[in-house]
Amino acid sequence: MFKNNAGQQDVRLHKTGPQVSQELHACIGCNECLLACPALGEPITIDMLNRETLGGPISRPVAQFARSCYQCGACVAPCPVGLHRDAMMMWLKVRLLRSGWGE
Amino acid sequence: MESRKERALEQKGEVGYSWLYRATAMNSGVRVLTTLLVIALAAGFFAWYSRFSTDTAPDSLVGLIYATIGTLLLLLAATMFSLRRRSHRRREVGGLRASLGWHMCFALMGLAFLGMHSFGEFNPRTGTYALYGMVALVISGLVGRMLDRLMPRLIAAEAHQALTALGDDRIETISQQLQAMVAHNTQNVRGFAAPSSAARPANSSLATLPQANMQGGRDQAARDQALRMPWDLAYISLESTPQELSRDSGSFRLVPDRKSDLLRPGALMPGTQEHMGELEEVRRAMQRELLYRYVTRYWRKFHILLALVTVGLLVWHIEFALQLILPTLFH
Repeated sequence: MFKNNAGQQDVRLHKTGPQVSQELHACIGCNECLLACPALGEPITIDMLNRETLGGPISRPVAQFARSCYQCGACVAPCPVGLHRDAMMMWLKVRLLRSGWGE
Repeated sequence: MESRKERALEQKGEVGYSWLYRATAMNSGVRVLTTLLVIALAAGFFAWYSRFSTDTAPDSLVGLIYATIGTLLLLLAATMFSLRRRSHRRREVGGLRASLGWHMCFALMGLAFLGMHSFGEFNPRTGTYALYGMVALVISGLVGRMLDRLMPRLIAAEAHQALTALGDDRIETISQQLQAMVAHNTQNVRGFAAPSSAARPANSSLATLPQANMQGGRDQAARDQALRMPWDLAYISLESTPQELSRDSGSFRLVPDRKSDLLRPGALMPGTQEHMGELEEVRRAMQRELLYRYVTRYWRKFHILLALVTVGLLVWHIEFALQLILPTLFH
């Protein structure tokens, strides 16, 4: 995380796998991040997203959501637990990227 | 057969994060069709009116209708998405995406209507500046959408470089490897350190030699044997002593002297340069990631700033237009 001169949070870089895993386990599943997302156009649920972010095969709707996410950060502010869904989505993107060129 | 193939695909899951991916949004076709239809109808009427009417000025009745509709569409584009984003009522998953889609459609329709309102008159007046502001705003929005597609892919590529296969921080992993190397080599160097003071016991140089630099237990045994040998000055052999023999061995060739290879930088740490190179590569990847994130963030701010400037120009133009129109209406 980089901070500006005033000490405020500026731009946050990606998170590591263990950090993402920790955040996923802390998610309470309130759905606020998905409701605030302007990129989500697929009918997915938060537990489905969490499960597939953590590991295992990625289903089509979750993959489409990961591809559509443009890291605007709209999901961060509404989270009541203060988690960073954008970092989790970045982890999902990296997983998709590592899996091959695909579509 | 088909179901087995589908099952195998399901087990494998989705792969790839291609640049050419096309997002399929709910009701996106309706939005695109509506936009095209509205613009086509407005353009058709504009073409017909321009051909058969003599009053083709921005302040004509048709021109004013175009201006009013265009302004309303712009206001809708500006407010609908922002308000919906901040609203906490009647939210549904995917609703904001639809709002963003309409935001773009209304902006394009608004620009088309305002372009027709000008009737091709681009004199350096308030209206022209407002129209240029609108054009710049729509272009900045379109560029922003392209950046929204491009930047996350670039960021993911850089994050992929900065993470190990297990998802750990690559900088930390390389640093740990370097630290282990330094610790190992420091032990080696200490092993070769010359006795610094006379306070050391007579056999300290032998005592401090590390096991790693001995040629196994054989050399150690030979040294022990040599020390235990009775010292008799009368018996001096011309044969090489065990110490002289072992001086030619590999471990003693490592003693740093003027001709030693150890004087070369990095000689004691094989692989360090490669690790340092990797570290530099990761550092650059993180810098690039930061740059991409800044580009995305500041482009959004720029778009909002441009929207405010355009609204200002629009208000200026409306005020100017009202000064011309109102006296005509009341007299």
